[in-house]
Amino acid sequence: MGSMVNCNVNPCKMCMPMGTVTAFLGIAGCMNILHGSQGCSTYIRRHMATHYNEPVDVASSSLTEEGTVFGGEANLVKGLDNLIRQYDPSVVAVSTTCLAETIGENVPDMLARYRESRPECRTRIVQVSSAGYAGTQFEGWFRAVHALVAQVPMDGTPHDGINVVTGPISCADTRALKDLLAGAGLRFTLVPDISDTLDGRHAPEYSRLPRGGTGIEDISRMAGARGTLELSTFVDDSWSPGRLLQERHGVPLLRCPMPVGLRDADAFLKAIEGLGGTVGTRVRDDRGRFLDAMIDAHKYSALGRAAIFGEPDFAYGMTRLCCENGIVPMVVATGSHCPSLEKLLGEETRELAETMQLPPCRFLPFADFDAIENAVVETGANLLIGSSDGRRIAAKHALPLVRCAFPVHDHMGGQRVRILGFEGGTAMLDRLANALISRRDAQFRKTARDLHFRPLVEEEEMERPMAAGDARTGDGVDVARRNARRTLTHPCFTESSCRTAARIHLPVAPACNISCNYCVRSFDCVNESRPGVTSKVLSPREALERYLQVKARMPNLTVAGIAGPGDALANFKATRETLRLVREADPDVTFCLSTNGLLLPLHAQELCQLDVSHVTVTVNAVDPAIGARIYREVDYMGVRHEGEQGAAILMANQLAGIAMLVRAGVVCKVNVVMVKGVNDGHVEDIVRRVRGLGATIANIMQMIPVSGSVFEGMPLVSNKELTVLRKRCEGIMPQMHHCQHCRADAVGLLGEDRSAILFGGAASKPGPIVEKSEAQGPRKARRIAVASRSGVVVDQHFGFADQFYIYESDGSDTRLLEARHIGKGPGGCGMCGQGGGRGDGAKGLDAGKIAKALAAVSDCEAVLAMRIGESPRRQLADRGIAVFATCDDIDRAVREAATACNG
Amino acid sequence: MYAQILEERRQSIGTGGDVGRTRSIRCETASVSGAVSQRACVYCGARVVLNPITDAFHLVHGPIGCASYTWDIRGSLSSGSELYRNSFSTDLQERDVIFGGAEKLARAIDEAVERYRPPLIFVYCTCIVGVIGDDVDAVCRSAEARHGVRVIPVKAPGFSGSKSTGYRLACEALMKLLEGHEWDGEREGVNILGDYNLAGEMWIIVGYMRRLGIPVAATFTGDASFERLLRAPRARLNVVQCAGSMMYLANLMEETFGIPWVKASFFGLEDTSTALRQVADLVGDDEIRRRAREFTEERSRETAKLVGPYHGRLAGKRAAIFVGGGFKAISLVRQFREMGMETVLVGTQTGKADEYEVLGRLVGPDTVILDDANPAELERFLVERGADILVGGVKERPLAYKLGIAFCDHNHERKHALAGYEGVENFTREVASSILSPVWRHARG
Repeated sequence: MGSMVNCNVNPCKMCMPMGTVTAFLGIAGCMNILHGSQGCSTYIRRHMATHYNEPVDVASSSLTEEGTVFGGEANLVKGLDNLIRQYDPSVVAVSTTCLAETIGENVPDMLARYRESRPECRTRIVQVSSAGYAGTQFEGWFRAVHALVAQVPMDGTPHDGINVVTGPISCADTRALKDLLAGAGLRFTLVPDISDTLDGRHAPEYSRLPRGGTGIEDISRMAGARGTLELSTFVDDSWSPGRLLQERHGVPLLRCPMPVGLRDADAFLKAIEGLGGTVGTRVRDDRGRFLDAMIDAHKYSALGRAAIFGEPDFAYGMTRLCCENGIVPMVVATGSHCPSLEKLLGEETRELAETMQLPPCRFLPFADFDAIENAVVETGANLLIGSSDGRRIAAKHALPLVRCAFPVHDHMGGQRVRILGFEGGTAMLDRLANALISRRDAQFRKTARDLHFRPLVEEEEMERPMAAGDARTGDGVDVARRNARRTLTHPCFTESSCRTAARIHLPVAPACNISCNYCVRSFDCVNESRPGVTSKVLSPREALERYLQVKARMPNLTVAGIAGPGDALANFKATRETLRLVREADPDVTFCLSTNGLLLPLHAQELCQLDVSHVTVTVNAVDPAIGARIYREVDYMGVRHEGEQGAAILMANQLAGIAMLVRAGVVCKVNVVMVKGVNDGHVEDIVRRVRGLGATIANIMQMIPVSGSVFEGMPLVSNKELTVLRKRCEGIMPQMHHCQHCRADAVGLLGEDRSAILFGGAASKPGPIVEKSEAQGPRKARRIAVASRSGVVVDQHFGFADQFYIYESDGSDTRLLEARHIGKGPGGCGMCGQGGGRGDGAKGLDAGKIAKALAAVSDCEAVLAMRIGESPRRQLADRGIAVFATCDDIDRAVREAATACNG
Repeated sequence: MYAQILEERRQSIGTGGDVGRTRSIRCETASVSGAVSQRACVYCGARVVLNPITDAFHLVHGPIGCASYTWDIRGSLSSGSELYRNSFSTDLQERDVIFGGAEKLARAIDEAVERYRPPLIFVYCTCIVGVIGDDVDAVCRSAEARHGVRVIPVKAPGFSGSKSTGYRLACEALMKLLEGHEWDGEREGVNILGDYNLAGEMWIIVGYMRRLGIPVAATFTGDASFERLLRAPRARLNVVQCAGSMMYLANLMEETFGIPWVKASFFGLEDTSTALRQVADLVGDDEIRRRAREFTEERSRETAKLVGPYHGRLAGKRAAIFVGGGFKAISLVRQFREMGMETVLVGTQTGKADEYEVLGRLVGPDTVILDDANPAELERFLVERGADILVGGVKERPLAYKLGIAFCDHNHERKHALAGYEGVENFTREVASSILSPVWRHARG
C-alpha cells in the first residue's frame, strides 16, 4: 500500500471481471456478458482494445435502477436472449460485477430457470461469481477457468492427452507454448487459449465470433486426461482448475511455475518429459542460445536495478529471470494480496543484492503505483519492468520501461510480447539489456566530462595569473573573464568549492519593496534568507568590522555578500557604503548580492562599478498572471502596484536587469521559489527565459509555507518533486543542487553556518565575538539534543524531528547518551513552527508536535537542528536552552556547541 | 452473414430519407440488455466532465475497477496542476462492503487533504456505494467543515441512467461549486463550456478570443482550476461547445446568474468561423466584430490553402461517424462535406431527438442514422454502405480495421487538436493518412 493508507493512488491492478472476460475469450465460440451496470463491459472492452487491437464484444445486462431494487433477472434474461440472437455463440459466460454481487443476485438459479424456459437453446451457459472487490483480474482469470471445469459436463473416458492450464499470458506466448507441447509429441488441451481469439488475422471475411480458443468438447474430456500441468505459482487452491480435476475426477496434478527464465523453463521441460513428452534438439538448441545470450549480455545486465510490477506469477517469473542474469531486483510489486511473493523470492534476491553490495529487495504486495514510485526513487532503481501503467513514473524520473505485461496501452504489440520459454527469455533479455545499454550510452559522455574534464579546466583557470591591468571596471570581456574566475571560488556558484571556500553575508539591508505571498514581513524575507533571519541588522561600519573580524579567523573567506534580510537594492545607500568600505579593506574579496530585481535596471551600472561580480535575482514568474498570484504588492518609485500590473513591472525590471548585468560581465544566478499549484508548471518557462538572457545557473527552491503568510496553507513541495523539476530544467541550464537557504547573516562554509557560534544564536543577545579558546571558561559537560534522522549529520528541522540524539560533550569529547524517539514529525506546512500554538486545525503546525519536541529536549542545555522556527526558538530561549542551526557532522557540531556554551 | 437487427433496436435506426420526415429516432433511453452497447455509464459521464479540473482531487469511492479504467481518462492538458492525472480510489474490499465504507472514505479525504492540500475534492460514488448504505453526503459535509475545502459528492452509480445522467450530475456539482460566488460588478468576456482541452484545444479557442479582444473568464472544464472556475459568474456570455455535456450547466447558469448562452462548434472551417463571428456579435463592439470578420476570413483562406491539396484525393470517399454526442456528429457531417466527402452512416451514443432531426436533414436519403449502436449494427452498415473511414472512439477502432476500413479517433485519447483552424488541418491530414495508406491495397489484395 502507498503512503496513503485509505486511498489507492494509481492502481496496479484491475477488477475481477477483467480476468474472467479475458479467460473466457480463450474458449471457442464464447461470448461474455456481465451482469451489472452498462459501464463495466465498456470499460473492459476499451481497456482490452488498446492492448490487443482486436474487437472485443462484451455484453451487459445493463441493470437499471429498477433492476437494482427489484432484482435483475429480467435484464439478464433479455440480455442472454439478445446476445444469443446476435452472435449465435456456442458458449455464453456470465460474470457478475460488484453491483450484482452486492444486491445478492442468485445467478445460478436464474440460469437454471432460463435453461428450463428455453429448452430449444443450444448455447451452453457458464457463470462465475466475480465481484470486483473480491480480487483482481489475476484471481478472476482462474475463477473463470475453474468455473468452466466445474460446470461443463465431463467425460471421464481415459485418454492419453494431458491438460495444461495457464495463468494470464500473452497471445504470442500461448502460441509458443502450444508449439512446444506439440513439438514434444504430446496430445494436450490448453485452457484457456487466447492465441487466436485475441490476436486475430486479417481476413477478407470478418467473423463476429473470433476464431480459435479451447473447444468445449476438449474441456469436457479433461476429466479423462493422464494429468494436469498447471503453470502457476500463486493460483489459490479453492479456484485451481487442476485441483478440481484432481479432486473430482482423479486427474493427477502437477504444478510448476510459469516457464520464465532458464531455471523455470528447465523445470517445465522436465515436467513435460515426466508426462511422456520428448524434448527435441530444436528446443535444446534454443536453450543453448539463451545461455549464450545470457553470457553475452551479463555485463550489461549487471547495470540493472530493476523494479518489477504486475500480476503475481509475472512478478515471480520476471524476478527470477532478472536474478539469474544479474539484474538486481530492487522492487517487486503486485496489486494482488500476495504475501508469499517475498517468502518465495526473498532468499535469491537477497543473495544477489549482497553480492552486488546493494540493500535487500523491497517486496510490495497489494501495492499501488504511488508505493512503487516511492520505492523506485528510494532504492534508485534504473529499470522498470511491467505494464504500460508504469509509463508515468518512467517519464517523471527519466527511467526506461520495458513493457511486457498487461495492459500495454501506449505501444504496439501487447498481444505479441514474448517472455516464456528459451526463445521468449532470449527476446526479453535482449530488450532488458538494450534498455540498460541505451540508458548508459545516453549518459556516459556527460558523466565522464563532468567527472574528469571539468576539474582539469577549473584547476587550470585557478592557476592562470591575473592579467596585468585587469581593471575592476574594465570592458565587459575582461570583467567577464575575471568574474568567471571568481566563480570558481564562490561556493554558491561552484559546488566543488563549497567545502573549501567560505562566505559571509552582511546583514545591512532591512527594507523590502515588494510583498511576496510566501513572506511574513516581521520575519523578513523567507526565501532570500531564512526564517529566523538575522540576529541583528548592521550598519555599514559594523558590517566592515564584522567582515574584518571574520576574515582574520577564516583565511578561506572568499566571498562577501549582501542577502537582505530585506532587499539589497531597496537599501542601496547602505549596500553601496558597505561594499565600498569592504573593498577598501580587501581588494580581492568577491562581491555577491541578492535581490528581487525590481531596482536592478536602476543600479546595475553602479553595481558593476562597485565590482560586484555575482548577483542572484529571485524570479518567480515571467507571466504577470502567475506573478500576480505570488506578489501581493510592488512598491516601485513610491507608487504601489497590485495584481498583474505590479507583477508585470517587477518582471520587466528583473529581466531587463539580468540582461544588463550579463552584458556587463556579471555572473547571474536566478532563484525560483517553486509554489505548488501556482508556478510549479511555469518554472521551466522561467528557466528558459532567463537562460535566454544569459543567466548562468538556476536555483529552484521549495516555497516554505510560513504560518501567517498568505501561502501558509499551501502544500509543501516534496524533495522528490523538487528533484524531478530540477532534473527537467537541467536540460535548459545548469541547476544548483546544493543550496542551503542561508541566513542573511550566514558565515562560513556553505552548510556549516557558524554565525550562531561566532556571534551567539538567537538565544543569546547579539554581542561581541566569542573567542573559541579552550582555555576560556570551565570545561563543563553539556547535554545537547541533536535533531537528526541519519545520526551522522544534523539533518532535521526541529519541528519535523522524529528523534533527538542526546549527547553530552565538554567541547573536546562527545558521548551519545540516547536516541530519543518522539513519534512522527508534523507533515505538511508550517514547517517553521511559527504560529504553532495558533491551533487553527489544518493550517499551521500541529502545536502538539512542537510541544512534544520541546518536552523531549527539556533536560538539555542546547539544541542542534538544521532549521528551527521562530516560536520554538523563542520558547527554547525562554527555558534557557541555546539553539544552534547547522547542518554539520553531528560530532563536530556537538563539540562546537558545547564549546560555545562553555564560552 | 449480418447479424439480425434486434427487435428492440429497430426504433433507434433510420435513414436520412425518413428521420425528421416520417419518423423520429428513439433515443435518450436505457441501453438494451445484451445488445453490446458502446456506451459507458453514469459515473463515466460525470468523471469525464469533471476530470479536466486540474487541481481537484478526484476520489472514486468504490471498488478498484472504476478507478483503474478511468485513470487519466482524457487527454486533457493542464497549464498548472497535474493532480487530476492521478487515479485515487478508496479501493473498497469485501470487508468494507459488509461493514460499510463511509469511515474509510472519511479517512481517505483526511489523507488527501494532508498530503495534497487540494482546494477542491470530488467524491464519485460508484455502483455499490448507495447499496451498502454509505451516507456520503454526511461524510463530505463533515470533511468540508473539518478541512475548510470544498468536498463535493457526485453520486453516480452506473445503473442510475446513462452517460448523459452523469453529465447532468457533473453540471450540478459545478453549480454547487459556484454557489455563493454571484457577481454584482461589471461583467466582461465569456466562459467556454464543453471543451476539455484535448491536445490543447481550449488553448486554441482562448487564443482566438484573445485575438478578437474578448476576455475569457472561465473554462468548463478544459484546463480549469478551482480559482478560475469561480470567476465564471463574471462573464457576459456562455459559449457552449459540447452541448451534450454542458447545456444543462448553461441553463442553470442562466437561471442563477443571468448569463445567456450560445452554442458554438469549433470543428470545421465554417463552424469555427461562424462561432467566432457569433460570439463577437454577442459581446463585442464594432472593433471586435470587425476583427472577428477579418480574422476568420484570413484564417479560413490560409487553412483552405493548406488542406486544399488533400481534397482532390478525398473527394467522393464515404465517411461513417459514430461519436458520443449529436452536436459533434452534426459538425463532422458538415466538415466531411467541406472535404467533398459523403457521410453514409452517422450515429451517437447519447444524441438527442432534435439533433437526430438535424442530422436527418443534413445527410442523403440513404445514409443510416442510429442511436446507441452496437458492433453488429456498425459492422453491417459500414460494409453495406461501403464506408471508407469510420470516425469514432477507441473501442470502434479494431472493428474498422478488421473490416478493412480507415479510422479517425475523435475521442479522449487523441494527441493532436481537432478544433479550430489548426484542427481542420490536423483532421484533414489524419483522414488522408488513414484512407490513403498503402496498407489497404495489400489488405484488399
